[in-house]
Parts: sequence; C-alpha cells; structure tokens
Amino acid sequence: MKRALAGLLLLMSAAGARAEDLVSGISQDIIEITSNYTGTDIVVFGAIERAQRARGRNIVVVVRGPDTPMTVRRRDRVAGIWVNRDSAKFEGMPGYYYLASTEPIDRVAPPRTLTRYGVGVNYLLPSAIGSHHDARPFRAAALRQMRQQGLYTEAPGTIDFLSETLFRTRVPVPAVVARGQYNVEVYLFRDGDVVSAQSTPLFIDQTGIERRLFNMAHNAPLVYGLICVFMAMLLGWISSVLFRRPA
Amino acid sequence: MEIYLPVAEMSVYWLVMIGLGLGVGFLSGMFGVGGGFLMTPLLVFSGIPSTVAVATTLSHVTASSMSGALAQWRKRAVDFTMAGVMLGGGLFGTLLGVWLFALMRRQGQMDLIVSMTYVIMLGSIGAIMLRESLATLKAYRSGVMPSSRRVNHAWMNRLPLKMRFRQSRLYISIIPPVVLGFFVGALGAIMGIGGGFIIVPAMIYLLRMPTNVVMGTSLVQIIALTAVTTVLQATSNYSVDIVLALLLVVGGVIGAQLGVRAGARLRGEQLRLLLALVVLTVCAGLLWGLVAHPRDLYSLTLGAQ
Repeated sequence: MKRALAGLLLLMSAAGARAEDLVSGISQDIIEITSNYTGTDIVVFGAIERAQRARGRNIVVVVRGPDTPMTVRRRDRVAGIWVNRDSAKFEGMPGYYYLASTEPIDRVAPPRTLTRYGVGVNYLLPSAIGSHHDARPFRAAALRQMRQQGLYTEAPGTIDFLSETLFRTRVPVPAVVARGQYNVEVYLFRDGDVVSAQSTPLFIDQTGIERRLFNMAHNAPLVYGLICVFMAMLLGWISSVLFRRPA
Repeated sequence: MEIYLPVAEMSVYWLVMIGLGLGVGFLSGMFGVGGGFLMTPLLVFSGIPSTVAVATTLSHVTASSMSGALAQWRKRAVDFTMAGVMLGGGLFGTLLGVWLFALMRRQGQMDLIVSMTYVIMLGSIGAIMLRESLATLKAYRSGVMPSSRRVNHAWMNRLPLKMRFRQSRLYISIIPPVVLGFFVGALGAIMGIGGGFIIVPAMIYLLRMPTNVVMGTSLVQIIALTAVTTVLQATSNYSVDIVLALLLVVGGVIGAQLGVRAGARLRGEQLRLLLALVVLTVCAGLLWGLVAHPRDLYSLTLGAQ
C-alpha cells in the first residue's frame, strides 16, 4: 500500500491540467474466499489534485456489488393466516452497496444529481420493474431489508484526511457477499456537482478447495450428489462400528 | 471457529453446526425418526438459505438413519420386504415432490405450503400419539394389560394384492404401504425430511406392524429415500452443501448412537409420549409463525427465481 501511495504522489506531481481532479486506488483488487473467510476490510485511498478550498468539497466512496434480481412479496391476512399475495420484481439493483462520505449524502448534492449517479441507498433505482401495483412501497421494503441485512450501508463521516488532499477510508466486506465483480467508485463533489470520478474493479471469488467443490456441484452434480450420499452412509456405518457394545 | 460453506456461500460457526447435528441425531436415534422435521427449521433459523437447508438436511438424515438401522439390523428387527414395497411408491413420490418444489418456489408460496403441511401433519400425528401413549400408560398403571393391537382395519382387509410380510407377521394388501411410501416420498422432497415421523406412527397404527420391527424398517426405507432425493436435489437444484453436510453428519452419527442407548432404557409408550410432545412443540411454533402478525409484511428474495 505504501508503494501504491508513493506512486500516486508521483502521478500527482506529473499531472498538468488546471481543474480540480482525483486519483484513487484500493489496497487489494482481488479478495479470495477461503475456508476460514469471515469477511475482510479493503482500504480505498486517494488524493485530490490541484485542490481548491475545502469548503463545498465532498469525497464519496461507493463499493457496488454485482446486480442481482430482487423479488419483494407482501403478506396479507387470509382466513387468519398470513399469505404472500402481491409481489414486485426489480432488476439492476446491486447485491451489495457500501457508501462512505465526508458528509451525510443528502448534504453532498441535490437528489437529482444523486439519482443520476446512483449515489446513496435511497437514490438507487432499478433498471426494470415488474409489478401490477404501485411499486414504491415494495422498493422501500427492499431497501429497508437490505439495510437490515447489512448489505446496504451508508457511513457518513468515515473518510479520513491524512493531509489537506490525501484521504483514505476502510470498507468492510462482510462474510455474506456474492462472488463476482465489484466496482469501487470514488467521487469528488464540488458545490453539489460531480467534478471528477474514478472507478476501479474489485473481484471477489472462491479459491482452493472451496472453488473446486463449488465447481463440482455445478459441473458434475451427479458425482457430487453420490459422494454426499456415500459420505453420509460411510460415516453412519463407522459410528455404528465404533460404538458397538463389546459382545 | 468459522468455516465457509461453498454452496451456501456463507460462513457458519462449525461447532454450532456439529452441535445441531448431535442434538437432532440424539432424538433420531432415540425415536427411530430421521429428525429432518427439526433440522430443516433449525438450519433456516440459523440463516442458511432454505433451499440449501432442505437439500442438505437429507444427508444428515441418511447418516443418522444408517447408524440406527445397522443397530436394528443386528437385532434382526428389519422387514426388508415392507421397506422395499414402500420404496416402490416412494420413488415416484420423490419425483413428484422435486417437481412440486420447483413449482412452488416460482409461485412464491413455498414457505406457506411447507409450513401448513408441517402444521397439519405434525398436529394430527402428535395428537394421535399423545392420546394413545397416555391411554397405554394409564392402563399399565392401573394394572390392566392393553388389549391386543392385532385388530385389523376392516377396509384394509378388503383391498386386493395381498402379500405376506414375514418379519412383521402380516398378510395385507400392498396398496396402503405403497400409497404411504408415495406420500412420504413427496413430502420428503418438499420438506427435506425422511418422513420418519409420519412413517413410524402410520406403521404402528395403520399397518399394525409390531413396534420392534417398525423402527428398523422405517430407517431402512428412509436411507434409500433420502439417498435418492439427495442426488435429485444435487442434480436439479445444485443446493446440497457438502461441507455443511459433513458437519451435520459427524454430529448426527454420534448423537444417533447416544440416542439409541437412551431409547433402550425407555418403554415403547414412554418413547411415543416424548416424541408426541416434541412433535406438538414444533407444530405449535410453526402455527404461531403462520397466524402471528409478521414483524415485516414484506419479504425479500435475492437472485433469479
């Protein structure tokens, strides 16, 4: 990470344009899930080039997971029993969303700007909606539940400035995350407008034996299923021999 | 202390999972049931996705049933003919069940149907067992030996396709055991259960099999059924997690052995009374979940349906 920071500083001194700009990086671009994986942290860091006054300037870091289809169902009481009745489907919503910012997001920019960039949990809009009813309460419920499960998080005030222009933030990656390509986006807001943005991919994938087992479950399901059955029967048999009362 | 499950794609405390296997295995060894009806809800409660819970519980049931069945087999308390006949129906039931499983998931009514089926099955079976075992216990206490169980249902005697089941000392039509097997096979695929809690009472009260062969026979048929269903779930839903299965199985087989020991010290009707109480407790919990006002009216499912 130190070397990356040093590289950043070099880049900064080499740049020549006049507008306020941004360079950023992440501490690791691949997270490997192994058998003892219980979640990890990544560090996102960056520097502001040709910095102007600090007033009216905001840094926002967004980590966005791969899109996942969402189905929201609402229960209604039918003959005393709670039954799923109406439902809505959303496409194009991220499966994981973490936002760190210098200020609470509503103070960073007006809603129109936030919606355009999909910055802020409340400004995430699905690309497609399948519903016969008013989808708004369903979308609100989806956002609420994603927050409760720790998959959507907003953390204002968690960006540390190491100097006037050098900043970093720590992004937790929980144990329950989907595998795939994540995007780390860093935005520089000036008076409610985005003046610079950078996006870096981050890959999360299984490795080693976990990966082999997962691949086997999908590529050779018959063999995989038979191994499960064999293992269960073998262990059942072993235990019955071990515990056999001496005659 | 935590271990990552490759198919469920999440981390769990491995000691907790072994403990779950042990506890449920103990009950299964004691009562001669697979214990799936306890394991599936417990896994879902621990945060395992319900599809993985249903499919992986089956391996746990296979293992603890294997362990119990071998013990019964040494005592010559297995009626293989009966197990085979029931399995004939069971295989078709399983195919139907796996198909229904996929259909219900698409409709979003999976949880409701599973819960309602559980409540109805557990409620009625628990109530019958409770009444019968209490009556038998009372009869013992007053010194009157219970009347012979060998009064067959009249309608069952009129059914065709009769067959002799030597080990059970029965001469009955194969239709009731085949239908029972079919029904239990379908339920097993949907609920992730072996169906022992249905088979055991049905063998005792419906087929009038002697209690001493009931456990071994139901265990043998459960092993075969859960083995087939595991392979079907693995090939059609990719939802069997082998790491989770290993943890549950290790706990399960030890628990099952301990359970068999504990069960040997109790009389049949005492065992049935205890099982009835366990069954009714699970039933009451599920019923509460159906009628209580949900904390959140909305539920969210991620991923393609």
